[in-house]
Amino acid sequence: MKIAEIKDPVAVETETVETPRSTAGRSDPSMIVPITLFYVLMIFAVIRSPSLVSASGIGSAVIVATPLILATYALMASVISGRGTVDLSIGPLIGFINVTLVQLVTAGYFTNPFAFFGLAFLLGAAYQLIFALIVVYVRVQPIIVSLSGFLALSGINLVILPRPGGMAPEWMATWGLGTTVFSPVLWLLVIATLAWVLFTRTAFYTHLRLMGSDERAAYTSGVPIAIVRIGAHIISGLFAALAAITFTALISSGDPSQGTTYTLIAVTALVLGGASLAGGRASVFGCALGALNLYLITFVLATFNFGAVQSFVTDLAYGTILVISLLLTLVLPLIQRYARNFSPLLYFVALGVVVLGVVLHATYDYGTVSAAYVVPPFPGPLDAVSTMRGMFETGALDPQTDALRAAARPLIWGVVILVVLAGLARVAVTEGRTRDVGPLVFLVIGLIVLVTAYSISQPNGFSFGTGSDAPHEERNP
Amino acid sequence: MSQTDTSPQQLSLATRLLGLIAGGILTLLSVIFGFVQDQPVQSIILYALATMALFFWAWKFILPHFLVEREHTEDTHGPGPFRRIWIDYRPSLIGLALIVLAFFILAASIDGFLNGWNVLSLIILLAIIVATRTIGPLFETNRSAFIGIMVLIGLFSVGAMNIEGFSSGWNIKSMLLFASFLGLASVGQTLVALLGGLDLSIPFVIGAANVGLLYLISLGVPPWLAFCIVLVIGALLGVVNGLLSYRLQGQALIVTLGTGFAISGGVQIITSIGTAYGGNVFGTVPGWLSNLAAMNGKTFGIPVPAAIFIWALTALILVVGLRVTVYGRYLYALGVNRISAKRVMISELKYWVMAYTVSGFFSALTGALLLGWSGGGFIGVGEQYLFLTLAAVVVGGTSLLGGHGGYGFTVIGVLVLQVLSSFLVGIGLDYEWQQFIYGLLILPMVALYARSPHIRTQI
Repeated sequence: MKIAEIKDPVAVETETVETPRSTAGRSDPSMIVPITLFYVLMIFAVIRSPSLVSASGIGSAVIVATPLILATYALMASVISGRGTVDLSIGPLIGFINVTLVQLVTAGYFTNPFAFFGLAFLLGAAYQLIFALIVVYVRVQPIIVSLSGFLALSGINLVILPRPGGMAPEWMATWGLGTTVFSPVLWLLVIATLAWVLFTRTAFYTHLRLMGSDERAAYTSGVPIAIVRIGAHIISGLFAALAAITFTALISSGDPSQGTTYTLIAVTALVLGGASLAGGRASVFGCALGALNLYLITFVLATFNFGAVQSFVTDLAYGTILVISLLLTLVLPLIQRYARNFSPLLYFVALGVVVLGVVLHATYDYGTVSAAYVVPPFPGPLDAVSTMRGMFETGALDPQTDALRAAARPLIWGVVILVVLAGLARVAVTEGRTRDVGPLVFLVIGLIVLVTAYSISQPNGFSFGTGSDAPHEERNP
Repeated sequence: MSQTDTSPQQLSLATRLLGLIAGGILTLLSVIFGFVQDQPVQSIILYALATMALFFWAWKFILPHFLVEREHTEDTHGPGPFRRIWIDYRPSLIGLALIVLAFFILAASIDGFLNGWNVLSLIILLAIIVATRTIGPLFETNRSAFIGIMVLIGLFSVGAMNIEGFSSGWNIKSMLLFASFLGLASVGQTLVALLGGLDLSIPFVIGAANVGLLYLISLGVPPWLAFCIVLVIGALLGVVNGLLSYRLQGQALIVTLGTGFAISGGVQIITSIGTAYGGNVFGTVPGWLSNLAAMNGKTFGIPVPAAIFIWALTALILVVGLRVTVYGRYLYALGVNRISAKRVMISELKYWVMAYTVSGFFSALTGALLLGWSGGGFIGVGEQYLFLTLAAVVVGGTSLLGGHGGYGFTVIGVLVLQVLSSFLVGIGLDYEWQQFIYGLLILPMVALYARSPHIRTQI
């Protein structure tokens, strides 16, 4: 198995660096890229279109992003199992479940939700079971099996449903509206994520990761690799079924031609989320972030009005961001050398506070501007000057906002102090053992948090709220 | 298993009698079928004689190889001959039984299915499968090529019998033309696969070259210059691909996918600037370019489009080049074992980038030729090549893990896919059924030769 042997140099190097120092087990620098990208995109998205942070905005984001996230989970289960199993057929499988169910419902065979879910799970698991049996017993390379699965399923999808159409069951009609945050789709997503997190606590998952990293070692240490592989694929099939159900809720009909798109998006999201396509390394958090990042890229680009070239710009941005974030993973060993005490969770929280500030800022101004100044919901056609400046343009503040800000100040400061305290505590714990740049990183993050929080808490900001066209460089005192 | 030094021995009397009877029955069958199908008497006689002669020849010269084999095994006190055949070929025999069963079910359920041609097709199919299973293992190294050729012959003969005009010159020409597009697109995929990588940017580069060439022509650039520019840009994109994916070899699949997206998006943005039609380019394709790739093109007076000759020449150069030149041998050396190749001072970076460069160049060439074929620019023209190039490489027998295979194998794979596709079109299947059957057929074809050993043998 050469794919398993020649892992990307990153993976090999991280392992060799990581093993002696994995006392905490939380130091995972592969999460830096997705987290950073997520927040950068988030800031852009909120500034470009503050309506994202509203009940309907988040609701529709959840509806659209959930199939992507679940598809990525489904792919992740089989990618972890190693041997270069990148299941290209995951998209057509989702499409297959979608069109089969929609056709059956349209024909009036059943409308019962339990039957609906049950049949979806059955189809997904059955396909992946066949896949796994072929990989285990016929011993053909998984990528070839997935290739033929891709062709066969995308063909049969068009046979079942030649063109988009049909209708979802009636009880599903309200799922795809996206007017509230807490739609059934969100609960499905939460349950799926929790299920995956619980799954990672089992011995089965440990076996799976061991097999993905080194199949021979797993075999010699008595792991029943055939069963583990079959299990991983069945889990993948179950998640694919969930993805198909949420996809059906999203479009309220059947669509046979989404297969390629979903495959490409799921693979891209997985890689953006820091997983290794060689197997053995993937995290549910990273995958969800990767899928969300892809959604945000599309969202941000949609706020710019590129006219006829819109989809091309999206393609260009997809490709470029994908390649760049892959190249960034090459720098990870360097980062890891200097930031051994990196904690993804803390980093996530720290950046989260920053973004929360931006979100509050953007949405409050949006909601309470004076009647004279109307912020267009979507900016007009792309114009170089207004793109540079318009990002940070806001209306004038009114007393109500000031009062709100004053009220929010203790809260913000409380959060900042908590974060800084947590950072300091972490530094203090590790300082005794290592003398490193690690503390410095926290100091820098803490400073960034402080400065941002301060700028938000200022009644007038530094220049945020004073003028309508103040360049953002003036924020630095 | 090597049969090179065992001379065919004399068959026993019983065996010869059996062969005589079997040959007679076969000939009789072919005569009966001939009359049932209202063939001219001359051709019936001709075919019957040919069938008989072929059968006797095969009986006399091929059978002894297996008899020698069996005598060796019978020395040991094992199970009887039939039992042994059952044990040795159990999966294949079950598969054969299933195929025959499927045939009978089809015959029972579809009216008019049970005609002579279909029975003959079934017999040919079974013969090919039996031949691949029994003779195939005798080829130690190039088993996939043998199986590919057998499948090719089988498909072609079945197609020629069942489909009107399948073996006509026009159809063969069009099959070769499409095969040459696919073949040129698969050049890069083969070389990259020999190193253990994958290049998914091929379809995007094809589409970009297709649109970009027409765009340059519509700008007023001389067509020959535009053609050269597109090829050079394609090669440069290949260099970029190679450099970017070099340190990320485990993820070459996804890196090239990313660059592909970027290339296709970027080219479309460039071509759309200043026009009202997003993504559509209008222009006239020069005559010589159409002549290169269109069905009615001529090459020095021969009524065959030059694209086929370009492909043939490329295939020849590549097959010979991979075999005899230092470059070719080093490519295999790197694919088999990277570390030992490095130890003998082979630059991995150089060959990796080179393979991707070739890939970019040939993708651009395919895109340009496709422009000549269709006469209009379309970014999605390469879409089907995303998986077809992979399928051609895999069906041909080049290992995706690197080090085994070659362009000759890919040529066979391309031809198999093309004949299969023409066959499926010929029997009136729609695109979606074609794709379905493609998917179902790739797996068993690969399973015939590319099974990896069990994990317990790898420790």
